[in-house]
Amino acid sequence: MHGYFGGYALVGLLGLVGVGFVAVGLGANRLLRPWRVTPEKLLTYESGVDPVGEDWSQSHVRYYVYAFLYVVFAVDAVFLFPWATVFALAGFGAISLGEMFVFLGFLAVGLVYAWKKGVLTWV
Amino acid sequence: MSLTQSIDYAAISPPLVVVVTAVAVLLADLFVSAEVRRRLLAPLALAGTLGALGATAWLATGPARSTFCLAGGGCSYVADGFATYFQTIVLAALVVVLLLSYPLFDERERVPPGQVPAAEFLALMLMSVSGMLVVAAGRDLLTLLIGLEVVSLPAFVLVGLRRGDPRGVEAALKFFVFSVVSTALTIYGIALVYGTTGSIELHHIAHALSTRHAHSGAMSATAAAGVVLVLVGFGFKIAAVPFHFWAPDTYQGAPVPVAAFLSVASKAAGFAGLIVLLVVGFRPYADVWGPAVGVLAAVSMTVGNLVALRQRNVVRLLAWSTVAHAGYLLMPLAVASSQLREGVRATLAYLGIYAAMNLGAFGCAVLVRRLHPRLAIEDLRGLVTRAPLTAVAFGLFLTALAGLPPGVAGLFAKVVVFRAAVHGHVTWLAVVAAVNTVIGLAYYLRVAALMFVPADDAPVAPSSRTWSVSAGVAIAAAVTVVLSVYPQPLLHLASTAAQR
Repeated sequence: MHGYFGGYALVGLLGLVGVGFVAVGLGANRLLRPWRVTPEKLLTYESGVDPVGEDWSQSHVRYYVYAFLYVVFAVDAVFLFPWATVFALAGFGAISLGEMFVFLGFLAVGLVYAWKKGVLTWV
Repeated sequence: MSLTQSIDYAAISPPLVVVVTAVAVLLADLFVSAEVRRRLLAPLALAGTLGALGATAWLATGPARSTFCLAGGGCSYVADGFATYFQTIVLAALVVVLLLSYPLFDERERVPPGQVPAAEFLALMLMSVSGMLVVAAGRDLLTLLIGLEVVSLPAFVLVGLRRGDPRGVEAALKFFVFSVVSTALTIYGIALVYGTTGSIELHHIAHALSTRHAHSGAMSATAAAGVVLVLVGFGFKIAAVPFHFWAPDTYQGAPVPVAAFLSVASKAAGFAGLIVLLVVGFRPYADVWGPAVGVLAAVSMTVGNLVALRQRNVVRLLAWSTVAHAGYLLMPLAVASSQLREGVRATLAYLGIYAAMNLGAFGCAVLVRRLHPRLAIEDLRGLVTRAPLTAVAFGLFLTALAGLPPGVAGLFAKVVVFRAAVHGHVTWLAVVAAVNTVIGLAYYLRVAALMFVPADDAPVAPSSRTWSVSAGVAIAAAVTVVLSVYPQPLLHLASTAAQR
């Protein structure tokens, strides 16, 4: 385990241990458990309701707009976290508070745009 | 001690005015009636652009201002002569493009394939321009990269904004895919440069690179790879061969004013970023990027001109001509020696003249499109009898692009870049460019002559409400004529901008 490439040997060893762990766990399970199947038991489990239709289904395109809005606001909200840890410290003060509201104001324009264009009403 | 950065709002006023105008246009679209909207939005965008142009002119007269400065020295945003030169070109181009695009969102417009939503079009164009203004003044890798992305993202939408136009969607998709790949390459190059220099600030990079370059080895090779990758990424933005494949299809599928916008403003922003990176940041590696830029320039002009010979569509012809002009613009940068400052000056001067004549040519394409929606070159036959003023203006711009009288401005531009190349001892490139100028004559003059051939068909009544397009073309024509007679002010501005 010496040198730069010795580090990769450690990574490989960890991989082997991981594969072994899963194989032993699932194999022991297979040997110990009872195996008495009925057609009902082999159905795909969907919260206790019998599954309907194929596994390939379409989502309505309107979800796309919501996903898009979510991404916009979730990604931009990331910028709030580093700001929240420092804005109250000495040396930052009111300017930092105001700057964040300028940023939020720009985000709000996006929300107002979506709202006025009727994106937020579910039809 | 205050930990907040003090921001010089005067320095960033041009992009600030443009962004606020973009938001104002979007909000105005939401809260006013349709009638007011039709009258208000385009003038509002135009007023904001003129305001930003005024701010830029004011900045240009004063001393250089810098802001967003780092504790270790170096500033991320510098409004010096170089920045204001590019900002002026971009904003002036935006004024003309806004005038050209006015008919696009006129409900009464009947030229297929239809109109675009006005507020979104204007706001996206302003946002894209705000990115260009930042690129022109950005002096660190991240500011330049984010500026370029702000240029590109709205541009994809602008290309495909026309409703129910599959060609536009295809054009936007091609543009998007090529641009994303080029951005990925640029980011990879930036990562390599940052990894070997430990800084994103261009002066620090130049300092670190010069020590790296002194010792050859793995680190030096890595830095060289980073420099070349960044160059490749910018090659896409300025549509230089072999990274030009998106340009003809995108220009043809986009609304013609958007094509004009991409070919002038977007290209100018790409050159601003490229020049800053090469001349300030990557200067120690001039022996690596100099020959690479030279080859790019030679291949761009040759391929652009040769393919342009075979085009049958006016916009495609102009698209290939812009590819060839990217070559001419790159040529003085290939100097990469002690004469580099003169090379930068030549590129800047060429870009100013190119902006006027190319915008004018695209503007004439907008005017011709109202008579002949297909915009085939054959449609231009006898244009002088149907639309005499358009034909004369188009002839002026085409001869200027070719570098012939009466478009003497183009000739001055060519002389400036040739002189820079010869003084900088890249004579082979000047020879290639000379051959290419002759090839260029063939297709520019063929089109120009076609317009003045007498046609036997009856004159078509010119459609009304083109005053804004005519005004845009008139501005471009006036600038071209003035620069043909008296180019000294532009050359002087270019030399001041190249002093750094």
